[in-house]
Amino acid sequence: MKWIDDFRRLLDRLRKEEPCGAPDAESGISCGEAVERLFEWLDGELDPKARKEVGVHFEVCARCYPLVMFEKSFSEALARLSPGEGLPRELEDRILSSLGEEGFTER
Amino acid sequence: MTEGEKRDRSFREEALPLMEAVYRFSLRLTADPDRAQDLTQETFLRAYRNWDKYTPGTRPKSWLLTICRNLFLRKEERSRRHAEIVSEIAEEDPRQISRESTVFQAVRDRDPEGEFWARVVDDVVLRAIGELPSVFREAVVLSDMEDLSYEEMSKVLDVPVGTVKSRLFRGRRILQEELYDYALSAGIVEGNPSRPVSDRGSPGRVK
Repeated sequence: MKWIDDFRRLLDRLRKEEPCGAPDAESGISCGEAVERLFEWLDGELDPKARKEVGVHFEVCARCYPLVMFEKSFSEALARLSPGEGLPRELEDRILSSLGEEGFTER
Repeated sequence: MTEGEKRDRSFREEALPLMEAVYRFSLRLTADPDRAQDLTQETFLRAYRNWDKYTPGTRPKSWLLTICRNLFLRKEERSRRHAEIVSEIAEEDPRQISRESTVFQAVRDRDPEGEFWARVVDDVVLRAIGELPSVFREAVVLSDMEDLSYEEMSKVLDVPVGTVKSRLFRGRRILQEELYDYALSAGIVEGNPSRPVSDRGSPGRVK
């Protein structure tokens, strides 16, 4: 698939840009290490130490900034989705009625 | 207050407020409002009958969504095909996937603040989510729309956390590519020959 080729090119380029995978002085981790954990960082799934390292790296790294903003705004766009498909009133009535048949009391 | 009254009260307070979330998830699973209503109703009936098995203090949302998904899978008799897909993607490394943003590569020069996504309207995003293969759709919906943690998703989907990450990260990437293709075809972005994205769409840039 074409995008896999694109991805390989991107990785090659990242490697060339980071010849020794050098970590930045503030966070102690490299761009590659930070970007690998980008989704976990955005999802709030990293342990406190890793969260801090990755967060500090993204704060100080101009190279990572555009990718972080891109992924962040994608996550925010999904979280903001307003499906416009609230619970139909008749469904709520149906559910309460069938629960009533099982012995459930509303109040 | 009798035991039955206590039981009904906790069900009323913890489960019933989640009717809309279960219906939303059902809609994403079935892509059909009538079937989603039936699935939601069955989920609550089953949840009520099994409310004694719910552990108080844990998050009832993931418990209800687990019931919902199991009912759906059983009805659809999709378990076998589902298992085949799972075995294919379970070996992928989620960390590697998190680096694979070809759409970002296509728009980065003209979109330093990540405004691209704001241009794609909600119903297009929802339609694209609906068209994702089911294993990826479930992961994206549970995480990005229903705000479940990886651990909670692991319980709902009955797979290890590593597989949750693979599905979620891959699902997001597929979704990004679908939306990017839409943006190209709708003229939201312009083609850019130097940055190819996918087999389907021609490459582009943000206007």
